[in-house]
Amino acid sequence: MDARAITRPIRRGGGSIRPSGAYWIWYILPALLVYAVFMAYPMLDSVRLSLYEGTTGARRFVGVANYVKLFTDAVVSQRFWNAFGNTWVFFAFHMLLQNVLGIFFAHLLTNRTMRGSGIYQSIIFIPCTIAVLVTGYMFKMMLNPMWAGPTLKNIGLAFLSRPWLGERSTALTVISLVSCWQWLGIPTMMFVAGFQGIDEDLLEAASIEGANNWHQFWRIKLPLVIPVVGMIAILTFVSNFNAFDVIYSMATPNGSPDYATDLIGTLFYRYGVAGEHPIGIPEPGLGAAVSTTVFAMLLCGVIPTLRATRGKE
Amino acid sequence: MKKTLAIALCTLLLLAPAVSLADGVQLTMGSWRVDDSVQVEAMLAKYKELSGVEIVFQPTTSAQYNSVLRMQLDAGTGPDLMYARSYETGRDLYEAGFLVDVSGIPGVKENFAPSSLEPWQNTDGSLFAVPFAAVSQVIYYDKDIFAEQGIEVPYTWDEFIAACDKLLAAGITPIANGLGSNWDILECVFLGMLPNYVGGSESRALYESGEKALNDEAFVKAYTDFQQMTKYFPEGFESIGNDDAVMVFATGRAAMVMDGSWSCGTNDEYGANWGTMAFPVPEGGEAAMCFHPDMAIAGNSISQYPDEVAAFLEWIATPEGAQIVADYLPAGFFPMIDAPITFKNERVTEILALNEGRVTDARFVWPKLMGLYNPMLEQLNALARGETTPQAAADAVAAAK
Repeated sequence: MDARAITRPIRRGGGSIRPSGAYWIWYILPALLVYAVFMAYPMLDSVRLSLYEGTTGARRFVGVANYVKLFTDAVVSQRFWNAFGNTWVFFAFHMLLQNVLGIFFAHLLTNRTMRGSGIYQSIIFIPCTIAVLVTGYMFKMMLNPMWAGPTLKNIGLAFLSRPWLGERSTALTVISLVSCWQWLGIPTMMFVAGFQGIDEDLLEAASIEGANNWHQFWRIKLPLVIPVVGMIAILTFVSNFNAFDVIYSMATPNGSPDYATDLIGTLFYRYGVAGEHPIGIPEPGLGAAVSTTVFAMLLCGVIPTLRATRGKE
Repeated sequence: MKKTLAIALCTLLLLAPAVSLADGVQLTMGSWRVDDSVQVEAMLAKYKELSGVEIVFQPTTSAQYNSVLRMQLDAGTGPDLMYARSYETGRDLYEAGFLVDVSGIPGVKENFAPSSLEPWQNTDGSLFAVPFAAVSQVIYYDKDIFAEQGIEVPYTWDEFIAACDKLLAAGITPIANGLGSNWDILECVFLGMLPNYVGGSESRALYESGEKALNDEAFVKAYTDFQQMTKYFPEGFESIGNDDAVMVFATGRAAMVMDGSWSCGTNDEYGANWGTMAFPVPEGGEAAMCFHPDMAIAGNSISQYPDEVAAFLEWIATPEGAQIVADYLPAGFFPMIDAPITFKNERVTEILALNEGRVTDARFVWPKLMGLYNPMLEQLNALARGETTPQAAADAVAAAK
């Protein structure tokens, strides 16, 4: 090694080795470029698209007409608010079940006396690795009385042989449950990490002070993993408002029956990408208006949640 | 720099003969019939033998075909030849300037009946596509089940209901249809029934012009009979989709299914001993059939090979060409040419024979009332679930016009 390099004094102040000016730009430039080209530009372009009418060739500037249509057209606004409401129901199921069951399973899995927790952990996680279209199709068959009915009757569970996906009252609930089943592994893993991160000393001290397991769970463990709930809330929120595939595979892109399972994702697909059967000519402008509106709503939901959970840390 | 130039030149020299060696012309064909790729490719191979022109089949799934095709055409990358939807959906593309006028192609005006040309006719009388195939809406029945139960193929509505009752009493599901897919209940079931109640194209024109009301007696009767019939759908029909229905029938778990002639192939594949019947005629009704002009072939107006495109369109408009198409196309798609065409599958001939002695028409809403598609579909769902009455359903659809 060159000795001079070591002995050379590091000068501070004027003429420092720190490059002057906005040198930091070089560090963030690659990420910024990727983000700008693949995220920001398409997003802004989609906002621009929402102000136009027609497909690529004959696009015409129409101002906010697409938004006006989205919120005032009798049919379109009804579909939008219906899908918006359904998406919240879908989200509520995920939040409730994934957090409650996630904490429950994670607590069991991190229990020291539990044998083979690795195996259970894998079992819970496996559904996450299967394509949604595959699980959706499988459940569609299982929930269809025509295919599953005979088996259910043979094992004395005839009352379960119902057109779950064909009834307005049950379709969305059932699809939400299937989706929760599929994705339960992810919150469980996050809670497992949360529970494992709790300092043993705390629990030891608590048990010396006479706290039983019940108290330890409610007073020590749960408050310490609560920040994970915030993270899961954001992930679930974003993925649910973009959800499409599970509805596509289990109901139809029309959100059958009678739009009872129509989510923002399927609504966007129908208006902006595929067009409505049987004409099938999309209105990209209207689709972009849906996605821009939802983007604004997501932002309003995510920023406060982020702030709230950051505060806790 | 010199080196790069040299490499570029060498590449060009190597490529030049390859380009000139490409024998003949290669066209592309867009389609929504993904399921028929094998058959259509065989037909196009035959066409290559005859003409030397290669046509590459590039289908897109039916649900996305219209939007994908529109995007391709907008971007100037559309296929040379393409399947064209009938009526307004296809006409829109012509009016946007994407399709060639095929009125002048030899044989088109001579070899097709005016009623076959009408679905692909522009408002000025010119044509935007050459008729290719029509489909029938029929009721498939299981010959074995009918024979076991001693049921004759019903002709009238009352005979049909009696047959359904008999099947139900014997513990057999009479009709396999359901609401799951939410398109076939309208397209295959109700619009299949409808011509028997409201008549053929002349009568349809009166409904389109408003001279007849969409909640008149004939319509109310059609909705009434539809609602009565849903009693014979399977348990849990609310979640039975079109694929399920066809499969349930083809595997012998229901006696009948209302579907399009395009399902013959599936039924054969599963070894069902099937026959077809026309939709039963209500009392006092005139026997009619829904024979729907489904596909035609159009040429791209900016194709590099307009002559080859025209030659192919001319070929399918000749009786010889149409016969070859019929030989290769999957069963259940009927060439619309005014010439005797023979089918290898005799059951397909039987389906076509159902048209004899019956007025035929396209699916009721297709020509001019496409806006009624969703309102009608919603009312049929409500009727099947017992949530509305036939009169209220008819009124709701009439109000949506």
